[in-house]
Amino acid sequence: MYLYLPVALTSINILLPIGLGLAVGLLSGLFGVGGGFLMTPLLIMMGIPPTVAAATDSNQIVAASTSGTYAHWKLGNVDFKMGIYLLIGGFTGGLLGVQVIKILRAMGNADFVIKMTYVLMLGGVGSYMFIESLQAMKKAKKPVAEDAPKKESGMQKFMASLPLQTRFEKSGVTHSALVPVVVGSFVGILAALMGVGGGFLMVPVMVYMLRMPMHVVVGTSLFQILFTCIEVTFLQSYTNHTVDFTLAILLLLGSTIGAQVGTIFGRKLKGEQLKIMLALIVLVVTVKIVLDLTLTPSILLSPAGGH
Amino acid sequence: MSKTFIKTIAIVALAFGFSVWQAGVSAANLTVEASKDSMQVDYNYHGSVLNLSGIMDKGTDLVLTVASDESHQKLKQKSKVGGILWMNTGDVSFEHVPNVYYLLSTKKAADILSAEELSRNDLGYGAIFERASIEATQEEGDKKTLFDEFVKYKERNKLFSVSDGGFDLSDEGSAQKYSTTIKWPFQIPPGEYMITAHAVKDGKVVDQVSTNVTVERTGVVKSLTDMAQNNGAIYGILAIVIALAAGFGVGLIFGKGGGAH
Repeated sequence: MYLYLPVALTSINILLPIGLGLAVGLLSGLFGVGGGFLMTPLLIMMGIPPTVAAATDSNQIVAASTSGTYAHWKLGNVDFKMGIYLLIGGFTGGLLGVQVIKILRAMGNADFVIKMTYVLMLGGVGSYMFIESLQAMKKAKKPVAEDAPKKESGMQKFMASLPLQTRFEKSGVTHSALVPVVVGSFVGILAALMGVGGGFLMVPVMVYMLRMPMHVVVGTSLFQILFTCIEVTFLQSYTNHTVDFTLAILLLLGSTIGAQVGTIFGRKLKGEQLKIMLALIVLVVTVKIVLDLTLTPSILLSPAGGH
Repeated sequence: MSKTFIKTIAIVALAFGFSVWQAGVSAANLTVEASKDSMQVDYNYHGSVLNLSGIMDKGTDLVLTVASDESHQKLKQKSKVGGILWMNTGDVSFEHVPNVYYLLSTKKAADILSAEELSRNDLGYGAIFERASIEATQEEGDKKTLFDEFVKYKERNKLFSVSDGGFDLSDEGSAQKYSTTIKWPFQIPPGEYMITAHAVKDGKVVDQVSTNVTVERTGVVKSLTDMAQNNGAIYGILAIVIALAAGFGVGLIFGKGGGAH
């Protein structure tokens, strides 16, 4: 059954976006990522123009992350205090990132920097998570790996010495309020540079730097993504007119349900298992991007807009 | 000589001249008709089928074109960076090129018309290339290569096509009737398209006629597009509110069903 998408100017079999939404929503509920780094390229492969794909994806993520945040909140997995600090940082970082892009564009090498950042961040984060989780799974004779006490590193000591130390009850950690704001803004800059929500960066930051338990990480990440995507949806609708609301509804039909199912599955998996699965997905996406960059394209022209 | 005689001679001469001129022009019978004047784009739209038919003289060939107005089109150019990575490295602007161009002919256009005749009558990709002005922000790739890539890009998106054959021809008195079908893809955006039939005889275009077909949005598709374009803020807020409501709705349904969590 086909449906015409008014803004994308494309007719599409409705089962495709619903199925895609379901799959990406599942990942969202499982790992606390928005899934933009997967959804946008897949939409482009279905024939949706790149600018419409990216903008519509943010609209869809609003629905999926609402569904996911709600499910995780019911399970007591959302650290609202940490989420708000990260959000303040992420918002500031996003604004800074847009300025960085402007400077890079003026220098004439924006696309190269953006692509390389993307590949290096994805590859780096994926490899680190994969190796770390594998080692933890091998070592862990103890039942719950994520609760195992970790040795204090230099970074941890430095973070503990910062002012404005505050307790994050839900996550069971104490940090300076500056830490989530600063790391949030760093992720925000990178997210703006790469044109993605940044969930796949924020999750490892919360796990490894903020030492939050994996289940709270997922819920808190979704809460933060929800607000980022509300902002992006509005800006894209207002300035670029590229949100295809009809496509977003088809995607969210799948993704809201997928997010709920993902949350239920996530409960049954251990933190290390979740991390290793997310690491594998991130690495597969990295390989795909590297192949796209190195194989000779069949057409040397592409539509303007989008990365 | 009386004035009346001179007048009579002048009228006869004019009449003769007119009849000779008429014979030159209207020797060819040529009509073109589309099976529909407009195509309505609603939620069910998945392209359409357009039948083009008409009358032409026996012994002539036919070239049909379907084209949009010429416009400015901007695309990104990919090239190798650092010898290994393919990425968008510049912009290419194409001026005086149609967004949509279909050419259908009874025989291969290059076999029935010379290159000059194709160019003079604005037929085929070659004629579009001659007219196009192509500006690239980087120096890599000559204009012909860029245009060939442009055609490849358009053909892949079903916006350009050149084909021959596929016409049904039958006798209709002293003339012949032609008919062909275009599978009109949904990728062709809403707009006005001109269909032109060119009669070809002895390597020359001897006559041409045109008609128009419109692709237009209707109903909800039209309202949503208008709102997205003209009321971006309201459209954005609506999109966010519906996404939030859908997310909460599904959350509530699952929350009730899975109360044990």
